[in-house]
Amino acid sequence: MATLTVNGTDVTVRDGATILDAARQIGIDVPTLCWYPTLPIVGNCRVCLVSVEGSAKLLPACATTAADGMKVTTESYAAVENRRGVLGMLLERYPAERIDERGAQNEFERMVKRYGVSVENRSGLPLRAGDDRAGDPMIQHDMSTCILCTRCVRACADIQVVGVLDVAYRGDHAEIIVGADGNPEHAGCTWCGECVRVCPTGAIHDVLPLAKFARDAMQKPATSVRSVCPYCGVGCQLDLEVRGTDVVRVNSPWIEEATPNMGSTCVKGRFGTDFVLHRDRLTTPLIRKGWVKRDGRWRYEGDPADVKRWGRRGGPWRDIEGESNTQKSRPRINPLRRLPTVGGPLGDPRDRVATPADWYEPFREGTWEEAMEIVAQELTRLRDSHGSDSLAVFCSAKCSNEENYVLQRLFRAGIGTNNVDHCTRLCHSSSVSAMQRAMNTSAASGSMREVECESDVIFLLGANTTESHPVFGAALKRAQRRGAKLIVADPRRIELAQRADIHLQMLPGTDVALLNAMLHHVIHLGLHDQAFIRERTHGFDEVARAVEPYTPERAETISGIPAHLIRRAAELYARGPRSSTLWAMGLTQHRTGTDIVASLLNLILATGMIGRWGAAMLPIRGQNNVQGASDVGAIPMVYTDYQPVTDPSIRHRFAQAWGVPDERLSLTPGLKVTQIVTKGSPVRGMYIMGENPIISDPDVAHAEEWFLGLEFLAVHDLFLTETARYADVVLPGASFAEKDGTYVNTERRVQLARKAIPAPGAARGDLEILLELSNRIGLPTPFSTAADVMEEIASVTPSWRGITHARLQETGGLQYPVEHATHPGTAFLFADRFPTADGKATLVPVEFLPPAELPDEEFPFWMNTGRQLYHWHTGTMTRRSQGLDSREPVPTVELSPADAAEMGVRDGDAVRITSRRNSIEIAVRLSPRVARHQVFVPMHYREAAANLLTNPALDPYAHIPEFKVCAVRIEPVAPGRHRALSVERIEPLVPAD
Amino acid sequence: MTPAEIGATHAPGHAPHGDRAHAHAEEYQPVFTGAARAELDALLTRYPTRMAALLPALWIVQRERGWVSEGAMTEVAHVLELTPAYVKGVVTFYTMYHQHPVGRYFVQVCTTSPCGACGAEDVVRAFLEHTGTRELGVTSPDGKFTVIEVECLGACGFATPVMVNDEFHESVTADRVQDILSKLE
Repeated sequence: MATLTVNGTDVTVRDGATILDAARQIGIDVPTLCWYPTLPIVGNCRVCLVSVEGSAKLLPACATTAADGMKVTTESYAAVENRRGVLGMLLERYPAERIDERGAQNEFERMVKRYGVSVENRSGLPLRAGDDRAGDPMIQHDMSTCILCTRCVRACADIQVVGVLDVAYRGDHAEIIVGADGNPEHAGCTWCGECVRVCPTGAIHDVLPLAKFARDAMQKPATSVRSVCPYCGVGCQLDLEVRGTDVVRVNSPWIEEATPNMGSTCVKGRFGTDFVLHRDRLTTPLIRKGWVKRDGRWRYEGDPADVKRWGRRGGPWRDIEGESNTQKSRPRINPLRRLPTVGGPLGDPRDRVATPADWYEPFREGTWEEAMEIVAQELTRLRDSHGSDSLAVFCSAKCSNEENYVLQRLFRAGIGTNNVDHCTRLCHSSSVSAMQRAMNTSAASGSMREVECESDVIFLLGANTTESHPVFGAALKRAQRRGAKLIVADPRRIELAQRADIHLQMLPGTDVALLNAMLHHVIHLGLHDQAFIRERTHGFDEVARAVEPYTPERAETISGIPAHLIRRAAELYARGPRSSTLWAMGLTQHRTGTDIVASLLNLILATGMIGRWGAAMLPIRGQNNVQGASDVGAIPMVYTDYQPVTDPSIRHRFAQAWGVPDERLSLTPGLKVTQIVTKGSPVRGMYIMGENPIISDPDVAHAEEWFLGLEFLAVHDLFLTETARYADVVLPGASFAEKDGTYVNTERRVQLARKAIPAPGAARGDLEILLELSNRIGLPTPFSTAADVMEEIASVTPSWRGITHARLQETGGLQYPVEHATHPGTAFLFADRFPTADGKATLVPVEFLPPAELPDEEFPFWMNTGRQLYHWHTGTMTRRSQGLDSREPVPTVELSPADAAEMGVRDGDAVRITSRRNSIEIAVRLSPRVARHQVFVPMHYREAAANLLTNPALDPYAHIPEFKVCAVRIEPVAPGRHRALSVERIEPLVPAD
Repeated sequence: MTPAEIGATHAPGHAPHGDRAHAHAEEYQPVFTGAARAELDALLTRYPTRMAALLPALWIVQRERGWVSEGAMTEVAHVLELTPAYVKGVVTFYTMYHQHPVGRYFVQVCTTSPCGACGAEDVVRAFLEHTGTRELGVTSPDGKFTVIEVECLGACGFATPVMVNDEFHESVTADRVQDILSKLE
């Protein structure tokens, strides 16, 4: 603690704080240029120099530690004159005329105005140059305004840990460069836009503010609305810059310790939100032609000719697949080379992956009244004629807690079925089932910041964090730089695997063997935490016996990981002292997903790597609200807060809260996604909100058959998705920017997103739609806003008791459990006990079981599926985002160069991948990241849908399908077909000359 | 991780630079293979960090290739676990790393004041004429010579000093130039 005086006011600061911190603490604004929150301090701009009594010279406020008794004057004559001098020198090479012409436009110009500096003498030097990233679809440079503060260089190197930018040349030739050759791609750029965020002059700027498509809007005054990124589970907070009724740009907060991202974003968050303004947005309800109203009832009387033409429903798959790359209208030249222009010679770039016009043909535009009537009538008809369980609903991990809560409430209390599920089933359901069994919890025990700043060892399994959760991926890289050890278990040599201290590169699906062997080794060395085991767990002895046969050598024969690496990893992990454990889909999406996670939990519990600050258990959640949707009861077995539907006393509480008789709520757990969409399921009618199972379910060709046979399907989405083609009624919903609501990120943080703009056309807020539907099927809802809904959620959800919209607004987010109205939230859990009856966790012995389908003579390759950096799930949003799509325009399969050479295929060749179920055509991307005889197919592309191939084998506990392993064969089909597209993409952005 | 594998670190989602960056352009041939690699590995044992070996690594590149291309900067970055931009920053800071191809014989003539007084200008002119380069910094048509003026070579007592690659010539006068050049193949 130090107490000093700044401009005559006393201030006490923590140890190590700088004069700048002290001044800002009491609201004194010392100007800074090179200083930026969370960046290393370099003190090179010299504008923050201040007078300190007793010091002969001025001292940099940003780099001088505050000392007891200091007397600081920030605006002394000397300090101000120095500042004016520095600004004046910077102005000598700055296009300063424009400041007078159009006023101060950026941080630097505002500072120039504030100190009344004008250009007195031109140095005679030309304006600065630098790499310009010409033609880049998202980020461009205009270095004439660069003042060499090097914020961008440090942001890239120290926040994102990439290092694309640096200063090159010397003296007055010094300039910012991009990599060695001006090509960001060669320098490893991920287009995160961190440089754009920190630039004080706009020398590095975003070229694809959504303003591109809303030029008129740019004339209107800007407001800023706080929101939450609609992509992954990190839950970055964003500021949407709104002009008129358009979101024209995504900014991110200057800094707030409370936000998970502290202002950082990845490429998707910063440049991937133009889908909101995409012309494909549905603006009116669509009703399948053939639905007519007679005598007050709606009936389907499709014209037989139409039915023949379109089928009773959309599809079929062969049509979707038929829209291969060659048939789609695409720019013939590299989209990166051209500035995006609206209506240029290439047409509107937004049409490139637009909804094909003929998808709309089977539908007619309807009114809300008609659409809601049909949905309500059909839901009640099926309920009354075939029973409640003939209906099912898919909630959405992309929609808010409030919406998911109202929708599951509608189906549970209004229809009377527990057939309520969402894509968590395809995601972390096996983690949830294993964690529930072991310690009765369903979420992370710790926080992301905790892992970044405190953990000594980070064990990452089956998670390509730098691409799937890039902001957290950067945090892990920062953690490693701080000194944390990184162990990565992944069949692919992903970026973090390359950086890792130990990479355990296993055959897909052999995790149990690895984890059992690690535990075996830990026990043999006596590194297990005996006190923790004794006091806080059951079942260790059984597990110790079960892992006894799993020697590292045996694990080596199963998984292919050298035994000595397994030993080293086990020792490193167990010695900690604080090891955090992170995992994602690589563990869960197996038919043994629950076993795999259970074996990991055994290791965590046996080594006591949980319940201490810095030893976190963190299943990394995939979607912005997959945690929240599960928390508010959008899964078949439980109400909110994982309260089982089978318990009559809990049912009674919910019946009371929802104003229905107890008997209305079913005591039978409902069907899960994979049980609903399967031959012989009792479901005849469905309501799907914001999910796209036709792309995301395993073996979709079979899923399609099932959808074709449905009696009634209502889909509620932003676009006419692949799934919506099978619907009877399509309801246009609102995007994340068009509604209020809360989302829960991967570390249990409930965050509030605000409505920024109105929904387009007649599209409506999702909550509004669901409330009306609820009322129409006879379940009155006492809510009018999302805040009202949150009140009810808090009243029935013990761990959310203290959460209200007002508090979220105030705090910037709360990590549940929040026990009462003033509770600050809980950053980490299980310090003293687990939430089980006796407070102890249980270890469960598990045996290794190979994946359901292994390569053989006929299908010699292992196929793995997953995400890419630039795309998101079924591509509904990202493929309609121009910047993202131009980075990754065609579906590609990662194939190892050795295998490719053997087959005689080259980068960009088309190959046909065939599994026992189906086949797709896809372009080859040579990648040393995949091991021999393994391929990786991204899941995002409808024209090469990975899930046509995947194996629907299910985990017996969680019913999660085995997306991660199936056997395929690969045949070259058309040499060079995609070469133009897939290879051109990586050519230099700036021609070499 | 081995340095060769670092390559892929820099392009998440894609093959490393070496594989793709020059897919169309002329294939980049790495410097650090065989003997040069062994030399670098030996060097690395003398430094506390890989980064510390950057200047000598660049010297190896310049010796092997005659200059430091952008491709080579990227290779050095990958080998030493640095970023390409950082390496370029270093290369462009120092004047003695060539950022363009130069002749096989790189002639540096000191033209600082004492040498200037002793006729360095004439020496420069003679080099330009006899090498056929005509202009400072330009490489002769046969690719053999590049001549530049430099600041003090630290031999004021023996003006005019000239360096031809690593070879040092003292007290050079215009009429000795042809003799010096004739000894070069």
